[in-house]
Amino acid sequence: MALDFGFAEEQEFFRQTVRDAVNRLIMPRAQELDEKEEFPWDLWKEFAALGYLGLRHKEKYGGMETDTITQMIFYEELARGSCGFAMSAIMQILMGTYFIARFGNEDIKQRILVPAIKGEKIGTICFTEDQSGSDLGGTRTLATKVDGGWRINGRKQWITNGPIADFATVMATIDPKLGLKGLNFYLVERKTENRDGFVPGQRLHKLGSRCSVTGELVFDNVFVPDENFLGEEIGKGVQYAGEILNEVRVMTGMNALAIAKNAMDDAREFANNRIAFGNPISKYQLIREKFAKFWAWYEASRTYLYKCAWMIQNNIPCIHDCMLAKYHSTEMCMYAVEEAMRIYGGNAFCTEYPPQRYWRDAKFLLYGGGTHEVLCDYLGRIYLKD
Amino acid sequence: MGFGHSKFGFVSDFDIRISDLLEAKMDIFVLVKQVPDPEAIVKVKSDTELDIENKYFTSFFDEIGVEAGLKLKEKFGGKVTVLTVDNRRVDALRRGISMGADEAIQITDPALEGSDQFTIARVLASYLKEKPCDLILAGRQAMDDDAGIVGPAVAELLGIPHVNAVVGLDVEDPKKEVKVTREVENGKEVLSCTLPALFTCQKGLNTPRIPQVMNVMKAMKAQIKKVDLAALGLSPAEVGLSSAKVKVQKYLPPPKRPPVKVIKEDFPDNVKTLVKLLKEEAKVI
Repeated sequence: MALDFGFAEEQEFFRQTVRDAVNRLIMPRAQELDEKEEFPWDLWKEFAALGYLGLRHKEKYGGMETDTITQMIFYEELARGSCGFAMSAIMQILMGTYFIARFGNEDIKQRILVPAIKGEKIGTICFTEDQSGSDLGGTRTLATKVDGGWRINGRKQWITNGPIADFATVMATIDPKLGLKGLNFYLVERKTENRDGFVPGQRLHKLGSRCSVTGELVFDNVFVPDENFLGEEIGKGVQYAGEILNEVRVMTGMNALAIAKNAMDDAREFANNRIAFGNPISKYQLIREKFAKFWAWYEASRTYLYKCAWMIQNNIPCIHDCMLAKYHSTEMCMYAVEEAMRIYGGNAFCTEYPPQRYWRDAKFLLYGGGTHEVLCDYLGRIYLKD
Repeated sequence: MGFGHSKFGFVSDFDIRISDLLEAKMDIFVLVKQVPDPEAIVKVKSDTELDIENKYFTSFFDEIGVEAGLKLKEKFGGKVTVLTVDNRRVDALRRGISMGADEAIQITDPALEGSDQFTIARVLASYLKEKPCDLILAGRQAMDDDAGIVGPAVAELLGIPHVNAVVGLDVEDPKKEVKVTREVENGKEVLSCTLPALFTCQKGLNTPRIPQVMNVMKAMKAQIKKVDLAALGLSPAEVGLSSAKVKVQKYLPPPKRPPVKVIKEDFPDNVKTLVKLLKEEAKVI
C-alpha cells in the first residue's frame, strides 16, 4: 500500500474554499483585468485581507505554514481566476519573500515580511537582465563590498511587480568572471527621500498575464547595509536559488494546468453548442480527438506535478522530475490553448471570447523556471549521460 | 466584566445596559447540508439511485444562515454551532467553521441511510431539544432536492415558531420580540415572534463572507464532534428507508435535446417553412 494518489479530506476542503473565493472575487473580473492592464489594487487589498499571502510563512509572522501540496492546490485554483493576478500574488507568496524569511534578521522580518504577508508592501525577486535569464552565470549586476555594507550597480529586466515593488531580492555578482560562483542575493528597498534604493525603470507591456505589472529596476550605486546580504556564505546564491527552483517549476506547472483546463472547458461548452452542417461540432471526430489528446496529457501532467509536490514535501531529491513536469505541463498547456483557439474558429480571433486570453496568458509560462530550450538541452544531456 | 458592578454602592443606567447585553448572549444553531456542486455531472444510475460526480459544496442558502448567525454573535456574543446529518461528508461543517462558527456537530449512523426529510428533521429535533438554544437557522431549501421541509419540520417538532424564506432579520434584544421580513408578491411582509424560533434564510438576507485563511486552517484541523442515534435515544428502526414517509419511486433524466433541423430552401420559401414549423411543430407561435 505504498502508492496513494488521494488528497486528504482537509486538502479537498481547502481546494473548495479557495475555488469559491476565486470564483467570487476574481473570475467575474478576469476579462476586465486583462483589458485594463493595470495592477488591481482593490482586488489585491480584498484578497490580501483573506490572509493567503502568508500561505508558506511562519505563523509568528502572520503566515499559515501550509505543506507543499496544499500550496500547489492554492496555485492551481488561483490561476483559474486570472494568470496575471496569480503571478503577482505568487511572486509575493513564494519568490519575493522566500529569501527574506530564510536569511533576514528579525528587524528585516518585522519591517518587510510582516507587512508583505498583509499585502501592505509589495515584493519581487530580480534575476533577469538584458543578457541573462536562464543563463544566471551571465549576471552583470555588480555588488561591491564597502565599509558597513554593499554597493549595487546594474539593471534588472522582466521584473514581475517591479513597477510597484517596495522591496526586491536581487541577484548580483561580486565579480562577473566568477560566473555562477560569484552570485549572491541582496535585499534592496525602493528609493525614498531618506533611503537609498532602486528606482523603477521602463514598464513593459505584455502579450499576456497583463494585470501583473512588469518592468525594469535600476540600481545606481545603491548602498545596502551588511544585514541586507541574504545568505550565510558569499558565492552560494545559485545554491540558495536552487532551494526554491523545484517549487517555482511545479508552481508554473500548476498555472499551466489551470489555464489549459479553463481553455478546454470553455471549448467543450462551445463545441457542444456550435452547430455546423446540422450537428454540434462536438459530434465530429477531428474535434473529439482534440479533447481526447488534451485529456490524456492533462491527466498525466497533473499526476506528475502532484507527485513532484509530494517529493518536495517529503524532501526527496526531484530536480529533474520538476524540470520534466514543468516542461510537460506547459507544453500540454500550449496544445490546449492552441486547440481551444481552433475549436472556437473565427470567434477565437475576437477579444470578446476567452480563448485568445488563455492563449496569450499561456505563453508567459514558457520562460519562468528555465526556457524549454534550456531545460530540454540540459535534460537531454543528463539522460544521455545516464 | 470588571466594571459596572455596584462595588461603590451605585448602579447606573449604563451598568444595567451592559449587564443586559451580557445576558443577551445567543446560542445559535445553523442546520447545514453538503450538496452536489451545480457543475457536477449527475446521471441516473437506476430507478432509485443517482450517480453523482464527486464535487460537493455547502448549500448556498445554508451559508446565508451561517452568515446570519455570525452577525448576531458579533452583535450579542454567544456561540454559533453548525449541525448536519450526513454519514460521509463534513465539508459543510468545515465551511461553517471557516466562516467563523464555534462548533460543528455531525449526526452520523449507518442506519440513517435512505432517510427522508421528515426523518432527518426528527433526528435534528431529537438533538436540539436537549440543547440550550435561542435561535435555529437553516437554508430555505437544500440546493439538491429543493424540498424545503427540514427547517419547518424541525420547528414543528420542537414546538417553536418558524418563518420561512426570510430576507430581513432584526434582533434588538433576544429576550424580546424579533422582527423578520419575507418577500411576498409585489412587496414585503414584516412578522414578529419571540425566541427561540427557527428561520429559514433566503437570498437577499446577506452576502456570506469569504473565509479568511486563518479560519480555513482552523477548519481543516477542526475536530468534528460525532453523535450517533443511540446518543439521541433513537433506534435504527425509527430512521432510514424503512421508516421513510416519502420514498423515491423513479428518477428520470431530462429529455435529450432534439436534433437540429436545417431548412435548405432559398428565400423566401425558407421563411415560410420556418414560420410553419414554429407554429405546427415547435408550437411556440
